[in-house]
Amino acid sequence: MPGQTRALSLASGSAYADDRLDSVAAMADSERVGYLGFDCLAERTLALAQVRRLANATTGQDRRIGALVPLLRGFLASGRKVVGNFGAANPDAARDDFARALKEVGLSGVRIGVIHGDDVRSLVAALDSELPELGTTVGALGDRVVSANAYVGADGIVDCLQQDAQIVLGGRLADPSLFVGPICHELGWELDDWDRLGHATLVGHLLECGVHSTGGNYEDPPYRVVPDPHNLGFPLADVEDGTVTVTKLPGTGGAVDAMTMKTQIYYEIHDPASYLTPDVTADFSGIVIDDLGDNRVRITGAQGRARPETLKVLVGVDQGWKATGEMSYGGPGCVERARRAEEIVRKRLEPYADEIDELRIDLQGVDSLFGDRMPGGYPSEVRLRMAARTSSLEVARTAAHETELLYFGPAGGGGNVTSVVPAIGVTPAYVPRELVPVRTEVSES
Amino acid sequence: MKLREIAASRSGDKGDVSNICVFVYDAVHYPLLVQQLTADRVREHFGDLVEGDVVRYELPLVHGLNFVLDRALGGGVSMTLRADPHGKSFQSLVLDIDLVSEQAPA
Repeated sequence: MPGQTRALSLASGSAYADDRLDSVAAMADSERVGYLGFDCLAERTLALAQVRRLANATTGQDRRIGALVPLLRGFLASGRKVVGNFGAANPDAARDDFARALKEVGLSGVRIGVIHGDDVRSLVAALDSELPELGTTVGALGDRVVSANAYVGADGIVDCLQQDAQIVLGGRLADPSLFVGPICHELGWELDDWDRLGHATLVGHLLECGVHSTGGNYEDPPYRVVPDPHNLGFPLADVEDGTVTVTKLPGTGGAVDAMTMKTQIYYEIHDPASYLTPDVTADFSGIVIDDLGDNRVRITGAQGRARPETLKVLVGVDQGWKATGEMSYGGPGCVERARRAEEIVRKRLEPYADEIDELRIDLQGVDSLFGDRMPGGYPSEVRLRMAARTSSLEVARTAAHETELLYFGPAGGGGNVTSVVPAIGVTPAYVPRELVPVRTEVSES
Repeated sequence: MKLREIAASRSGDKGDVSNICVFVYDAVHYPLLVQQLTADRVREHFGDLVEGDVVRYELPLVHGLNFVLDRALGGGVSMTLRADPHGKSFQSLVLDIDLVSEQAPA
């Protein structure tokens, strides 16, 4: 019977658009897993990709595909499968990149599934969707809205896998869905079997962030240390009905233990009983963790309820330009000199006050992370950090340049760096899911 | 005693909302955590870094607490000019909270 005794092994290949690929080859060649899932998107990645696509219609997809495919040659040749949101703002271009790279490594006839439908710019414009975090609507922002992508779930992935796709890619495929799709397809779970969807979503949540499960963003010596943090192993999961065992490849660094699992399971979760995804309302409140030792942890107890009737959309908003500039001061009086420098920069930027939407100046080493919430002793060095947001590129450049001119400010300022980059913000909206039809297209490379 | 001596933490972001989960290393410390690491305590410790409410969820099966801090990221990861837009460092600020150990004299 499907879903009763079968097991499936999957691993994470990437946690974001610029994640390292050097461990993918080892995982792919280990013959340990049947699927590799690649999360390529953080909240802002897709909006930035959309800006790239607007400048050049052949871009906007993940930029690592050409480098990735050679690492996956044996993996794909053995019939194993890859799922990822490589498409970002341009799934067709991602498909073309895969086809080209597959040809270059001598693989032909690989079936590639492409999922369309997450780009909902015209829909949110037609609905004049509310943007609750900004207190406005899509219509009111006009052409400042550069992108709108709905988080779509596992259904399109399952559809592609049922059409024998070996590579499945899309745009804003929700992070856990990259794994929920393969699990449901392989184990024969229905997409309205909510407890199983909750369990599959737990697996996805544990894998989607890559080494965040195995010792990344984790060490706090002397209380928390892991072996070989320069070589963290990506997590892999052996999934069965109601149970998942997480581990990593032998010989890799990091740790899979009860604490690395806990810190990841509840990462970016609000109400643990109601983790909303496009697939399910997952309930992680009853999870039980069993540390088996030797970098193996068994987890049970995830449940689920019906999926939300709305889909979350991230709307990308053109915020103009962000300028930053930094300068270091050291030795006796460094804080006072940096404060003096702050006064100079603020005074110099006064004429542009109408064009600067936000300006902040912090002293790294003193108050840049926590304000006055954690006072320490007098530092041996501080680094002034100016950040400004403005709709004027010229003003942004002026603001950044003013920190460089601090070489003629208080004594001993050194090591200036500046940057001026487009400021793209993303903000959530919600749309009825029935208005976001997902379309799949499977073809051979 | 600093919270850091008995617990691990991790902070994450969604828009302008930060969540910080905290787990004691030794289950024996869980009652102390529940009793002393209240939402009000975290709210007070973070001061004006957080503009909205702080809500606490208890996770007794894994000996942890999850705090959800609304309007805590200066307008959101992609909007804020803060040096740490994601609030990744918040996990370290929470561990600076002082707890009274049960063995300490009254």
